[in-house]
Amino acid sequence: MITIDMLCYYSRLRYMNAMEKFTYAMLTLLFCVVSRSLAMAVLVLAVNGILTVKKGGIPFSRYWHYLMIPLAFLILSTLAVIVNISRTPFDAFAIPVGSYHLTASYASIYKGIQMILTALASVSCLYFLSFNTPMTDILSVLKKLRCPDLLVELMLLIYRYIFLLLGISFSISLSQDARLGNRDLKTSLRSFGAMASVLLIRAMTRSGALFDAMEARCYDGRLQVLEEQYPPKRKEILWILFFEIFLLILTIWSKIK
Amino acid sequence: MSKNQKKTVALCTILALSFGITPIANAMHIMEGYLPVGSCITWGALCIPFLAAGFFSIRNKLRENRRALTILAMSGAFIFVISSLKIPSVTGSCSHMTGTGLGAILFSPSAVSILGIIVLLFQAILLAHGGLTTLGANTFSMAIAGPFLSYAVYHLCLRLKVNRKVSIFLAAMLGDVFTYCVTSLQLAMAYPSESGGVAASAVKFLGVFAPTQLPLAVIEGLLTVIIIIGLETYAMPELRSIGFIKEKEVY
Repeated sequence: MITIDMLCYYSRLRYMNAMEKFTYAMLTLLFCVVSRSLAMAVLVLAVNGILTVKKGGIPFSRYWHYLMIPLAFLILSTLAVIVNISRTPFDAFAIPVGSYHLTASYASIYKGIQMILTALASVSCLYFLSFNTPMTDILSVLKKLRCPDLLVELMLLIYRYIFLLLGISFSISLSQDARLGNRDLKTSLRSFGAMASVLLIRAMTRSGALFDAMEARCYDGRLQVLEEQYPPKRKEILWILFFEIFLLILTIWSKIK
Repeated sequence: MSKNQKKTVALCTILALSFGITPIANAMHIMEGYLPVGSCITWGALCIPFLAAGFFSIRNKLRENRRALTILAMSGAFIFVISSLKIPSVTGSCSHMTGTGLGAILFSPSAVSILGIIVLLFQAILLAHGGLTTLGANTFSMAIAGPFLSYAVYHLCLRLKVNRKVSIFLAAMLGDVFTYCVTSLQLAMAYPSESGGVAASAVKFLGVFAPTQLPLAVIEGLLTVIIIIGLETYAMPELRSIGFIKEKEVY
């Protein structure tokens, strides 16, 4: 149902220590956004692609498909950054519209390319984390980082409920389709509304039942779950350290330049 | 037409279609890595007071009634599912609701700010909408600005004795439009235009996203009304349990 969630359980990097993966993804993301250099973006994009596809065993076609998802946003907003409407034409190109020009400068086109590559590289960092780490592992990392217990618990419950509600909504919309419930805009609006309101009713009933079940098992305000332990490996830590130091040097160098 | 001309037409059609089919995956999430570090931190910091208020309000509610935990979690999951489902749209592109307007009307805006940041985090990790560095900016526009405006509009309309359905419609629609304005402003402040600064840049971003976002806002408004009608017909006890309808009110 949620493809990323399904894929990350198959990943070969799943049993790597979650804290290592989290630290690697966050630091790389940080350096990417801070430096905004082209070389760095290409390097990070390549390394994350190799890690996720080669090491993690995620099919390349899926990975590529997911990299292309944010493209619509990327193209639209980068166009808005590059193209200007002004009286004086800039150096790259200028299309006259009345007394104004639709125009862009070489500097802004360079900046646009830089933005697109940086964004794609950062997305690849996010994907490295989400394609290789199940949500429960990410939550245990958050717990170790002293995120308030209440929030982590709420996130755990929400994560569980998402699949429950998605299942219900899937079967409802399937039966609506079977009864021509999405024939035109009017019926499909009505069907969607009906589905959403039934969904909330079901959700409330389920939440009551769940609380009763928890109460019957001595729930005292804290959810206690056992975690699987995957100890960090020294070789992996050294590699991550080496790569991040390299990125740090690259960042400093790109800032000084 | 000659062979070459036919080929050109076919190519153009394929190109146009491929643009049409490209999923506009909830275009108002600012994607990962798109904002400079400065604005990521600024927007994140702006969220903190709202999130703290939301956190404490949830904790106090839980002290009173522990049962609220599962209800809150279900509400969070509900907002996530509603915003991840494809909704019927006019343009044929694939679009989603924000769901936070509905959340703000049903629950309270401060609770929605906490649920919203969790939902946005899940959307980033599970659905690749939005991102971790832009979480602060997205939270501010989608989980704080939109819901608070929706809530204010809804209660203002009720005070002014506007028809309930109209006020729900207005609240959800204006909340959506406001989210889209705030996002455009965030982008504009990060990338001011070469000619005309932040204001010109804001106008450009507003213009670029208007064709997808304005019809979406209207549809979101309509859907929210339909959902609430459905709930009022079938789910009075549930609406009471989340505090949307007070005991003595009778409709």
